[in-house]
Amino acid sequence: MKTRVLLAIATVAAPAGVWAQHAAPLLPRDSASHALNRLAYGPRPGEIERVARAGVLRWIDAQLAPDQIDDEALAGREREFDVLKYDRGDLARLYAEVQRARQERKRMGDTAADKPDDSPVAVKGRRFAAQVQQLAVVRAALSQRQLYEVMVDFWTNHFNVYFAKGADRFLTPDYIEHTIRPRAMGRFEDLLIATAKSPAMLFYLDNWESVAPGASPPFPLFARRRGGQAVRTAPKGINENYARELLELHTLGVDGGYGQHDVIEVARIFTGWSIRRPQQGGDFEFHDWAHDTGDKQVLGTEFERGHGMDEGIRLLKLLANHAATIHHVSRKLCQRFVSDDPPDGCVDDAVAAWQRTRGDIREVLRAIFHGPDFWSTVNVRAKVKTPLEFVVSAARATAADPDTTPRLAQMVARLGEPLYLHVAPDGYPEKEDAWVNSGALLDRMNAAVVLAAGRLPGAVATLDSIAPVTADPQQLIADIDDEILGGTMSENTKRVIGGQVSDIKDPVQARALAVGLAIGGPEFQRQ
Amino acid sequence: MTISRRVFVKSGGIALFSVGLDPLFLARAALGLDRLSPPSTALSRPILVCLFQRGAVDGLNMIVPHGDPLYYRERPRIAVPGTDVVDLDGYFGLHPRLAALKPLWDSKRLAAIHAIGSPDATRSHFDAQDYMESGTPGVKATPDGWLNRYCRHDREHQDTPFRAVAFGPELPRILAGSAPSLAIADLQAFGLRAPQPAARDRLTRAFEELYAGSATGLLSTSSQEAFQAVQMLQRVDPTQYQPANGADYPRGKLGKAMLEIAQLIKADVGLQVAFADVTGWDTHVNQGASEGQLAARLSELGQALTAFAQDLGDKLDDVVVLTMSEFGRTVRENGNSGTDHGHATAMLVLGGPVNGGRVLGKWPGLDPANRFEGRDVAVTTDFRDLFAEVLARHLGARDLSTVFPGFTADPTRFPGAISG
Repeated sequence: MKTRVLLAIATVAAPAGVWAQHAAPLLPRDSASHALNRLAYGPRPGEIERVARAGVLRWIDAQLAPDQIDDEALAGREREFDVLKYDRGDLARLYAEVQRARQERKRMGDTAADKPDDSPVAVKGRRFAAQVQQLAVVRAALSQRQLYEVMVDFWTNHFNVYFAKGADRFLTPDYIEHTIRPRAMGRFEDLLIATAKSPAMLFYLDNWESVAPGASPPFPLFARRRGGQAVRTAPKGINENYARELLELHTLGVDGGYGQHDVIEVARIFTGWSIRRPQQGGDFEFHDWAHDTGDKQVLGTEFERGHGMDEGIRLLKLLANHAATIHHVSRKLCQRFVSDDPPDGCVDDAVAAWQRTRGDIREVLRAIFHGPDFWSTVNVRAKVKTPLEFVVSAARATAADPDTTPRLAQMVARLGEPLYLHVAPDGYPEKEDAWVNSGALLDRMNAAVVLAAGRLPGAVATLDSIAPVTADPQQLIADIDDEILGGTMSENTKRVIGGQVSDIKDPVQARALAVGLAIGGPEFQRQ
Repeated sequence: MTISRRVFVKSGGIALFSVGLDPLFLARAALGLDRLSPPSTALSRPILVCLFQRGAVDGLNMIVPHGDPLYYRERPRIAVPGTDVVDLDGYFGLHPRLAALKPLWDSKRLAAIHAIGSPDATRSHFDAQDYMESGTPGVKATPDGWLNRYCRHDREHQDTPFRAVAFGPELPRILAGSAPSLAIADLQAFGLRAPQPAARDRLTRAFEELYAGSATGLLSTSSQEAFQAVQMLQRVDPTQYQPANGADYPRGKLGKAMLEIAQLIKADVGLQVAFADVTGWDTHVNQGASEGQLAARLSELGQALTAFAQDLGDKLDDVVVLTMSEFGRTVRENGNSGTDHGHATAMLVLGGPVNGGRVLGKWPGLDPANRFEGRDVAVTTDFRDLFAEVLARHLGARDLSTVFPGFTADPTRFPGAISG
C-alpha cells in the first residue's frame, strides 16, 4: 500500500502525469532519454537536454506530425544521392546494360565469371545499390523526423522485399520511395493496398506470374533466354506465395484463424495482379485474361465472380480491418516500441486506438506512447538495439555527419543486417536473441572503436560536441555518461574507462578510446 | 549441478573439477586444454555438422525417383532425364550435379533418407523452419532449439566455447537457448581488431572488464563466451590454414563455412556441434532440370561436401554431416516451371559413422492416392526419428526426452542412418 502512495507522488514529478499505476519516477531527462531511444535512433549530443527542456510529451506530439517538422538539412544531403534521380525505368535500363555487358564478356571468352565486373556500367550499378542502403542509414541518422524514419524501417521489414531477387534489384528503390515512405504514418489499409499493387512486392512474392488455371493471354508471351533469343513461354499457373505471406505476415498473423483453403482462395482472387513489362521497370497492371472468373470464399466471406480487380481491393480492405490483423500488427508495434514481449495492456491500448480511428497509424502510436507500459521502468533500457539501431545511434551519439560513402551501411551489414537483403518475407527480427551472440558483440565493439577513432571515411565523428579535449579523465567520463548514455553509465564502466585512459598522454586519443569503449560497452547496446 | 566451463577455462586447470563429475569427463577436459596449441589426433570425439537448406529443397530432384514413370509425367519440364541421373539403386539416383558425392556413396559414407519431414502440415517456411529448429512440430511457444537443448542435456563436452558453433552472422533458432553457443561470421576476423597485437590485447581486456562488470542478461552470457573464444582462437591461428588432400571448396558462403568447420575440427578446440545455412532452395519459378537454378545450388552443395570430406581425410571417421530442409515441394510442377511448397523431402547423412550406400526411409511412392493432401510426397519418417538417431547413436545422447519434449524416441523407428 505504502509503495503505491509513493509511486503516486512520484508520478506528479513526471512530465505530464500520463502514466498511472505502473508509473515510474522518471525524471524529465530520463524520460527524454527513453523517448529518444525508442521513438528516435538515440540522442545526438545536447538532445536529451533540449527535449527535456521543451517537454517530452510535446516532443512526442511533434514527432507524430512529421510533415510539420522542417527537415531541410537532410533534404540537402539527400540531393547528393544520385540514385534518387533515377526512376525504376532508368534503373531497369542500367540493370539491363550491366547484364548485356556481362553476356558480352562471357562471349569474348572472359571466363573468370567470379571476378568482379569492373566495367563502368557495373561499377555504377553497384554504387547505386550501395547508395540505396546508405541512404536509409543517412536518413535515420540525420532526419529531424526521427519517429517517421523509425516507422519506415518498421514497415520496410513488415512488408519485406528482397533487393537481390531479379527485377527487385531495380524495383526496390522505388518501393521504398513511393510505396512505403509516403504511407509510413498514414492508414494501414492504404499501405497494405499500395504494397499489394507494388511491382516490387508482386515480383518478390511471384504474384505477377500467377494466373488462373487454364487461362492464356490474348497475345503470345515471350521471355528472353540466356543466349538473348526470345522464346515463347508456356501459359502460367496459379501461385500461392503472395497469398500465404499476405495472410501470415502482412495481416492476420500465423495464428489468425485461416487455413490452406483460404490461402488458395486468396491466391485465386489475386490472379491477374501483375506488372506491365517488369524487365523494363513497368507499373502495376491488372490482367483480366489471367483472373480466375469463379466465385471465391475467404474466411467465410463470399467474393462473387465477375468483379475482377475489385475483388482483391475488397479483400485487402477486409483483411486490413480484421480483428486478427489489428491485434497482430498492434502487437508488433508494441514489440518494437515497448518490449520484446509486449504487455497485453499495451497491445489492448493500441488495438482500441486502431479500432477507434480505422487504422490511423499515428493514433495507434500515440496510444502506445501515452500508455503506462511505455514508461514503465521495467521497459526502460530493456530492449537491445538491432544492428541498424546500434550503428545509427552510434553515429548520432558521436555527431557524425554521414555522406553518400556507404561505410555505415556496410557496418550495419557486417553486424548481421544488410539492408533490404533479408531473403525471407518475415523481415528482420525484432527480438534480442536474434542479434545478441558472441560474434556479433565483438563486431559491435570493433565498430565502436573504429567510429570513435574517426577512422570511418564518410562518417567522421565530431567528439568535440560530446566533451572538450581535456586532461581530466573524470570530467571526460562524466560528459560521455551525460551525452551518450543518458546518465546510465555503471560504476564499473566508469572505473574501466578511467583506468584505460589514465596512462594515455594524448588527450585526443584518450577521448576517442573512452568514447569507443562507451559505445562498444554493454550500456550502449540497450535502448 | 551446473559446472560452468567458463570457470574452467579461466582457471586453466582441472582443480575445480573435483565435484561429482565422471573421470572420463575430467580426462577429456584436461586433454581438451592440453590440445589447444598443437593439434593432435590422440583423442577422437564425435562431431555433428548440420546444414539447413532454407527455402525447402525439392527432394524429388535431389534424390530422383527416376524409376517411377509418374515422376516424369508430373514434371514434363523439370524432371531430371534418366540419362542424366547418377543411379544409386536402380530406382533412386543423384541429381547429376551431385555426382561428386557418388564415391562417398560407394564407400558407404553417404546415405539419403527420403519421404522425411514434419508431422505438422504447415506449408509456411517460417513455421516449418521454426518447428524443425525448435524440434517441436506444431508448438510455437518452445523458446529454444533442439541442438541447444542437446548441449544442455549432455554437459560432458562443456569444456570449450567452441562446443557449439553456428557459421553465420546470427545464431540460428536451432542453437538458441541457455547452453552457450557461438555465432561466427568469419573465423579469421574473430575478435577485437587493432593494428598491433599489444593494442589488440589491451582493447580485448578493456571490453572484457566492461562486460564482466556491467552487462546483464543475454549480453552478459554472450560476451563471456566471446572472450573465451577469442583466447582459444588466438592459439590456433586460423589465418595459416591450408585445406588438405587437394580439397577445393566452392566459392560462396557454404564453401567458406565448410572450410571453417573443417579448420575448427582439425584445430581440436572441442567443436562438437556445427551449424550452417544454405539458402536458395525456394524454386517456385524456373527451377530447371539437369541444369538451371536448382542444379546450381546442388552443385555448390555437392562440391562443398566433397571438399569437406577430402579435407578431413581420416578425421571424417568422427564426423556426421546432416542436411535438413523445412519441407519438400509439390510432386507436380507448377505453371512457372517451378514447384510450390509441399510436404516430405529428402535429407542426406554423410560421414564415417554413417550406414551409407542406401536410400533409407519408407518410400510411399508418387501415386496420387498415397500423397499427402493429394499433392505432396507423404511423410513416412518424422524428422525427429532421424535427428534422435544421430544424437543417440553418433553423439551418444542418453536421454532424448528433454531434447524432443512430447516425443518418444523409439530406436525401432530410427531410419538406420548410423551404423551400430
